[in-house]
Amino acid sequence: MKLSHRFATGMATAAMVMGCWAVPATSAQAAETLNVYSIWPEPYCKPMFKAFTKDTGIKVNFLRFSSGEALARIIAEKNNPKIDVLFGGPIETFAAGVKQGVFQAYKPPSTKILPARFKNADGYWTAIADDPLVFMTNKKFLAQHHLQPPTSWNDLLDPAYKNMLQMADARTSGTAVTRIFSLLEVDHRDEKKAFDYMKKLRKNIQTYTKSGGGGTVPIGLGQAAGGIFFIVDALQTQDKGYDVAISFPKEGIGASAEGIAIVKGAKHLDAAKKLVDWATSAKMQSLLAPNKINFVPANPQVKTSPAVAKLLATANIIQIDDKYAGQNRKRIVQKWVDEVLNEK
Amino acid sequence: MSALALKNKARPDLFFSLIVAALWVLLAFFVLYPLARLFGRAFTTDAGVFSIAPLLKILGNGNDMRAFGNSLMLAATVGVGGTLLGFLYALTAVRSGLSPRWTRIIDTVNLLPLISPPFTISIAILFSFGTRGLITYDLLGISQYSAYGFVSTAAAEIVTYFPVSYLTLRPILAGIDSSMENAAFSMGASRWRVFRTMTLPLALPGLLNAFLLMFSASLADFATPLILAGNSFPVLPTEAFLQITGQFDLQGGALLAILLLVPAAVVYFIQRHWLGERSFVTVSGKVAQRSHVEILSPLARKILFTVCACITVMVLYFYLLLLYASLVLAFGANSTFTLAHYHTIFTDGMPVIVDTLIISVIAMPLGGLYGMLMGYIVTRTRFAGRRTLEVVSMLNYALPGTIVGIAYLLAFNDPPFDITGTAFILIACYVFRYSPTGIRATVALLHQIDQSLEEASESMGARSGHTFRRITLPLIMPAFFTGLGVMFIRSMTAISATIFLISISWNLITVRILENMTELALGPAAAFSVLVVVIVYVVLMIISYLLAHLRAQSSGRVENILGG
Repeated sequence: MKLSHRFATGMATAAMVMGCWAVPATSAQAAETLNVYSIWPEPYCKPMFKAFTKDTGIKVNFLRFSSGEALARIIAEKNNPKIDVLFGGPIETFAAGVKQGVFQAYKPPSTKILPARFKNADGYWTAIADDPLVFMTNKKFLAQHHLQPPTSWNDLLDPAYKNMLQMADARTSGTAVTRIFSLLEVDHRDEKKAFDYMKKLRKNIQTYTKSGGGGTVPIGLGQAAGGIFFIVDALQTQDKGYDVAISFPKEGIGASAEGIAIVKGAKHLDAAKKLVDWATSAKMQSLLAPNKINFVPANPQVKTSPAVAKLLATANIIQIDDKYAGQNRKRIVQKWVDEVLNEK
Repeated sequence: MSALALKNKARPDLFFSLIVAALWVLLAFFVLYPLARLFGRAFTTDAGVFSIAPLLKILGNGNDMRAFGNSLMLAATVGVGGTLLGFLYALTAVRSGLSPRWTRIIDTVNLLPLISPPFTISIAILFSFGTRGLITYDLLGISQYSAYGFVSTAAAEIVTYFPVSYLTLRPILAGIDSSMENAAFSMGASRWRVFRTMTLPLALPGLLNAFLLMFSASLADFATPLILAGNSFPVLPTEAFLQITGQFDLQGGALLAILLLVPAAVVYFIQRHWLGERSFVTVSGKVAQRSHVEILSPLARKILFTVCACITVMVLYFYLLLLYASLVLAFGANSTFTLAHYHTIFTDGMPVIVDTLIISVIAMPLGGLYGMLMGYIVTRTRFAGRRTLEVVSMLNYALPGTIVGIAYLLAFNDPPFDITGTAFILIACYVFRYSPTGIRATVALLHQIDQSLEEASESMGARSGHTFRRITLPLIMPAFFTGLGVMFIRSMTAISATIFLISISWNLITVRILENMTELALGPAAAFSVLVVVIVYVVLMIISYLLAHLRAQSSGRVENILGG
């Protein structure tokens, strides 16, 4: 009996302890704060938020998620939003969010000077950077097989790459969707031609990774020979010391803008607007190069870092039509799953 | 307080009824309600109308059905393989006359997969057995071997989860009185006969429990297949995750997860049915002299040693690889020794470490108590709805973590239950998701304890509370400590559910590790993993010391957390 009572008191005490924790930690409400989900990884977004706090005095609490997880959470939290801003990540994630009605329209001052593909017509999102795709290959593998870094989409069909390429899965990764639409644009939207190519390429694929950068380390380590990645991921792989080559197909390859948006029902709306103003302006984007963040700035007032600019000088970056991509995304991804991924 | 001796279906008294009521309220709130919200989401259209059309669509989808079949095959393989391996280890530990020092070493090494973040083994397998793996390519020169697919996924899951089956089986085997085996042996029965007709049947509840735990763990595991399954072997938990995070199709993801409930439930009921009628009493109250047993022939012993040693060496190698990755500048590219990664995690990573520890330390005792209480109630008492209670208590364990996470997010984001973003929701998730190990351990142990022990105590005038404290509690204490250990381990290492429940105020180490890996920061990821392993190991040693101390007082028999 005594012990059973002790159980009860123990449980009750524990419940009370937990109760104290259950109160959300909002004591730091005195200073102006902002809650953010960042799709940019911490090494990228942290210096940005630090500078923003220095400029404005607004403290940024953030949590990093992959684009899919971030949006899934925002959708689940729709009725009682926990955050104010979704920061970074490919705009196709933002486009999906617009369809779910989770964002609030706001047009920052920079909207006026941004090219059309860097802003949503209704102001639901605005671009803060641009990110072209590249081919990345392991130099040791190239040397062993007497190959040059690939400069054409067809180079990747070489049997030497059999079972040695890693790239992202279109169901989870914006990188993959951008890659597929690049191909479609290169082939003048001839779906049969583009899918025939992808089916052939399938034979050289070791695995389709869940995240866009998932294949970079295996390629750096030589577990795989090459793949198609965003330039930020590829350059970071090089910066880490892995011996990889970056090249571009002569037929052209696409790019995806990175966005920012205010969440509908944001509890700190004014601060959220300030962050959007700041992130879309030269104030933030001129910090990218000094922090070795290899995005291409979206704001035309900011110069691309010399290293990236030099690399891109040789590249044929083509436009992916947003309207076409937006209208066909779901169907094309499904087609990719049915005809490429699950093809025997 | 007749609650504690209910073979004769005594009427439950007030106190007992209150406990059952309290358990029901907790389960209703933290298991049934979120699940109901999830089902609601799965079976209503956007317009809010009930519809089974989406379910029919999934049942007609060849790819989803293939994933379903793959999940079953994987879970069955891991269930059988993990149970066998755990049994092998348990047998080696308690029946082969291994010196205590070697037992300790084997225990320590094989605890590693259990106490480290879930993807560590997968990553190590990838680097060791991949197309250009350290072992397959550099050592053996095989270049066309692919580390993606069924075999490596099953192997990684078996290595990751078999310590659970070992933990479940070791106390059971240790509890089987070896003097009985000896008696049979000395009366002329062959070793095999003794093993087959005594040891094996007595260990049956443990084996079935281990199988159930392994089967469900594999069924719900998403981290391993996410990394290792590749393209040709889709399984349901990853498909559900992809459906939600890739296609933003919460409904489709929820439905796929609900499909997983079917096999989990079937296995559970088969196990119940099997165990229901049998008696497995081995703690009979008679003094059992610990004697040296010759139940295993020298050859059998050698085989056991070799198998255990090989697997132990492999696990050890995986973790040395991890330690190495945490101590070099860039794994595979720059092997210069550095402590920079540790510096990073103890400065930038410090808040996450503190959050994780606070949550784990609170979740541990709550989950341990809850597990023991639930295990006791469902085994030793009779009341209407008892089985339902047991089934409900297992639900969150059987569901894939992604789905539990999403269900919690759906259920607890809006007033009046607005607890997302707090530590409370993480603790609740852990307690109701990871205490089933403690529940199962308690159940399995109680199956072995003859109820007449308790009845004897009561018939001699001891009050039931007294009986529980002096007789039952010491006997189920090992299960409680197993539950406690597993709670802490899981709280430190879980990811699939919690990735949806962490918040700006409360973040966890495992999520940071996954982050680090997507940031290509293998060094900090490895350093965090090593830290988790060290912390959990130290805590487990403390628990095991406490248990040993406790037992030394009551019975003089020293056991530890590893074998209860």
